[in-house]
Amino acid sequence: MDQDLAKKTVEQLWRAGINFVTYLPETRLSSILPLLEAEKSFRLVPVASEAEAITIASGASLVGKQSACYMEGTGLFVCSYNLLTVSVRLGIPLLLLISYVGSFADQRNSFRFAPTGIRTEEQLKTLNIEYQVITDSADLGQRIHDAVRMMHALKQPVALLFTGDFTL
Amino acid sequence: MNRRTCLEALLPHVTDQLVVASVSGQWIWGQLSKHDGNLLLGSMGNALGVGMGMALGLPHRKVIVIESDGSVLLSLFNLPTLGTLNPKNLVVFVFDNEAYSGSRISRPSATAAKTDIAAIARDSGISRAMTVRDIDAFNREMSSAIKGPGLGFIVAKVEETFEHRNAERSDVDLVENKYRFVRYVERTEGKPIFLGRG
Repeated sequence: MDQDLAKKTVEQLWRAGINFVTYLPETRLSSILPLLEAEKSFRLVPVASEAEAITIASGASLVGKQSACYMEGTGLFVCSYNLLTVSVRLGIPLLLLISYVGSFADQRNSFRFAPTGIRTEEQLKTLNIEYQVITDSADLGQRIHDAVRMMHALKQPVALLFTGDFTL
Repeated sequence: MNRRTCLEALLPHVTDQLVVASVSGQWIWGQLSKHDGNLLLGSMGNALGVGMGMALGLPHRKVIVIESDGSVLLSLFNLPTLGTLNPKNLVVFVFDNEAYSGSRISRPSATAAKTDIAAIARDSGISRAMTVRDIDAFNREMSSAIKGPGLGFIVAKVEETFEHRNAERSDVDLVENKYRFVRYVERTEGKPIFLGRG
């Protein structure tokens, strides 16, 4: 992911009101992390498992933070229990920023990622989580804003799956 | 010492704190406390993470987590994260009866053998992690942790009791409980929690 795209992504998250981000680092979108860290209006929370990325962000949302969870697509499978039993079950707005590894447009796709990648969207559907796939910077800001508006309207987690240019 | 005697001792100390309970603690706590700041999650492995998020999101407000051995063991990765983040406004109670009592056949948990949750917590960087084995020690450490600043992590070794197996279940749905909790936070913090108006 080139630096300009990382900057644009972080700026649009800030403009959309996100101010609390839990994360487990991965390869495709990791250049957003130093930028999130540098922007002091974000509370950036490193975790050891995507499972607690979800529970910690859910707790923060319940006391007024606008929360996002950044993770690799494989992490969606790790945290499905926590999404289902906390965020989806109770109805808690969260923005899931998922690097869509193993998808068709993943420019670094390999046998390591494809078997989970091809199941990612089905997993989100199983969890009843609305999502959008983003492949380039066109309308990036609008799509992030739309996702944040949707998460508040539904009072549910909403996912953005980043692939294509974001995986270069 | 059992979970009920500990929670009865905790009850008068809870005023305006936010309280998160995992499924194993919520039956008794839900009977004892009608505090609007209670969030009863109805699941295992989630309360500590949710409580951490609340403590980080509202750093001037004390947050209390009511956990159990089985629930903490399900999400052990929480302990290094908690030790790293070290929220000063969080107190965690782990009621350790050394059994999966909810299973109704009381299979032993790892703490019935060699696992020491307080030791894992200390080695994860939670310096004020301890095990208490009687009600006097519980009262002393609970009171100190609730009143004082700093992250508290108290593992209370309790006898297994079976009242939860026959306890009357609450008719407050998890979503209803969430809204009650959120409205309480809105009232006491003077700010909206959920955005998006009708």
